[in-house]
Amino acid sequence: MGSFKLGGMTFGSLFKKPETLLYPFETKTPPAGLKGHIVIDASRCILCGICAKTCPADAIAVEKKDRTWAIDPFRCVQCASCVRACPKSCLTMDPAYTPIATAQSCTVVEVPDPKAAVTES
Amino acid sequence: MTEFSQEFREIALGEVHDVAAERHAAGWRYVQILAVNTEAGVDLVYSYMLDGLLENDVVRALPADAVVPSITDLFLEAFVCENEIHDLYDVAIQDIAIDFGGMFYQLSQKAPMTVVSPEQLAAREKARKVVAAKAAKEAAAKQAPEAVPDTAAPAAGPTEEEIQAKIAGLPPEKAAKVRAAMEAKAKKAAVVPAADEAPAAPKPAGLSEEEIQAKIAGLDPEKAAKVRAALEAKAAKAAKTEGKGE
Amino acid sequence: MGKATVIPFGPQHPVLPEPLHLDLVVQDETVVDVLPQIGFVHRGLEKLVETRDYNQFIYIAERICGICATGHSVGYAETVESLMGVEIPKRAEYLRVIWHELSRVHSHLLWLGLAADAFGFESMFMHCWRLRERVLDLFEKTTGGRVILSVVKVGGVVRDIDATQMAEIVSVLDGIKDDYTKIMNTLLTDTSVKNRTVGVGYLSTEDAQALSMVGPFARASNLPYDVRSFGKGAYGDLADFQPITATEGDCYARVKVRCLEVLQSIEIIKELAAKMPAGDIEVAVKGAPADGAQASNVLEQPRGECYYYARGNGTKNLERMRIRTPTSQNLAGMTVALKGCDLADVNMIILTIDPCISCTER
Repeated sequence: MGSFKLGGMTFGSLFKKPETLLYPFETKTPPAGLKGHIVIDASRCILCGICAKTCPADAIAVEKKDRTWAIDPFRCVQCASCVRACPKSCLTMDPAYTPIATAQSCTVVEVPDPKAAVTES
Repeated sequence: MTEFSQEFREIALGEVHDVAAERHAAGWRYVQILAVNTEAGVDLVYSYMLDGLLENDVVRALPADAVVPSITDLFLEAFVCENEIHDLYDVAIQDIAIDFGGMFYQLSQKAPMTVVSPEQLAAREKARKVVAAKAAKEAAAKQAPEAVPDTAAPAAGPTEEEIQAKIAGLPPEKAAKVRAAMEAKAKKAAVVPAADEAPAAPKPAGLSEEEIQAKIAGLDPEKAAKVRAALEAKAAKAAKTEGKGE
Repeated sequence: MGKATVIPFGPQHPVLPEPLHLDLVVQDETVVDVLPQIGFVHRGLEKLVETRDYNQFIYIAERICGICATGHSVGYAETVESLMGVEIPKRAEYLRVIWHELSRVHSHLLWLGLAADAFGFESMFMHCWRLRERVLDLFEKTTGGRVILSVVKVGGVVRDIDATQMAEIVSVLDGIKDDYTKIMNTLLTDTSVKNRTVGVGYLSTEDAQALSMVGPFARASNLPYDVRSFGKGAYGDLADFQPITATEGDCYARVKVRCLEVLQSIEIIKELAAKMPAGDIEVAVKGAPADGAQASNVLEQPRGECYYYARGNGTKNLERMRIRTPTSQNLAGMTVALKGCDLADVNMIILTIDPCISCTER
């Protein structure tokens, strides 16, 4: 008799809204806090390098001399250790997944020099 | 409800099988066997459990030629751990019930878990030196509290102890990098006063072996090889031009 | 009696998602001896502990296996905490158990789907995985990850579940429970399922005890061993915890035990959600494990008891991290259960044992 119960459930599914989405025409709105990718607010960064030190995957490289902050999204494991470690809280986890890439690349962000900005203005 | 508790106790190599037999008779449950690679030799830890009490019997520092008796005649399920320890640590275990004869894992290298990388060795050495230096310093401070601080040492770049102190607690690759950087700094600082004293001293042509070493420390091997080749070519070129000049 | 023939089974086989190899000695369609072999995908993750500090290694520990990810991160964190003498807040313990039990629900549903697929019950497979998807959505909402949660850290957890989310978890689980009860009753009463599983792959209580079996495999042979009954962490606050056991010791009993464990896990989560204490979710962990300090720990994974061992060496890197997984403990029992079965039943027996090779090949 059991099979008929499950049959009823399966039959009912024919008329219900599907559980799946018709990707890529429909997409789900990502919930808050989804581990998408790391973004940096470069204006607040002080290039201390703590994020690079805590990263378990060695994905972040901070160059003090060139004033750049770089992340290799192919190494990043989205653990958010850097977000928690940043003393200036300039790193955040963006809930959007990164689009599919055709080649490996590094994201390099130039960090503006606050002293230079002062002298310019 | 039985509470969970854990205990560690040390046993001798000869007791391994007797202890296993005792525990088998008393109704203990075999949990696992593991090995730890230490400088004195491989440690073995046998774990058994009875009503929430997890007992770990530790056999310290097996000699290289030690033969460990198998406990698979009592606990057949130990064959997985015993074969694993044989393959990964190269510990000879006698009479395993299901013996794979070193083919449990298909490895490209013998006993991979006993390999200690040079960086790790260096880090260990340094950690030990730091501890020793600290102890010596404390002892010296106790012995001669009013002694005049040693002014003889010139402030030319960071000294060995400073480097030690700085890299203590860093991961090995990083430690190597920092060390290389600081040594380069020290060398530079040393070169400058030397140049002041004797301006006639010839400047090194191109990069010396140490400098190359310092530069490639911390890079991955292929990259290191490339950088090395480039730097050596540079040094050769520099030597050539110098030769021409003379 | 015919002549003995050796038939290789795996490492690539339709019923196995992972590489496990068996040499089956067969005589007239009956298996008389079995030699299991693993080691095809050994990765040496335990060695990696030397290159990462103890805070970073938790992300490697949870990548040992996709299905047991939460369990491994909880087990590793508990071991390092016991090594360093860290006491974590009560709320963190509760949150860890809630995520761990959710992952048990998802693991058992995944397994049930695969088992149904193996005996040709395609629609059951779809229904199980549909329900599992809801659990993964819960993970996504509460932790930000679907499989690898990265939510446990040494000294607590990194994210809190607020009251609204907790209410949502409970309501989603109630929904799952309704559908799941129907599926479970179908599976356990279906004649064709019974024909395939009853009396197959029998393992006696004495054998299970002698071979130190763990997990649902042991409990199906009436060996009431469950690490959760030691009441570690938040499990100690449960009003009543009784390991689910069955007396038959065959494939049907193993299916039944796992089916009932899903309902048990749902009840545990609901009870803990109601009892949830307020407070911090983490404590700061400073310093490094002392040189030569040792700690061992056991944890009930979806597949059974998992053993963890850690030894410090005075630096931030651990000297040794060892994980003995439930599957490697059950390999010996598996050979005993397989002896004397029909060749056609081998895949059914292996599936009901639910080996997790990626855990075993750390």
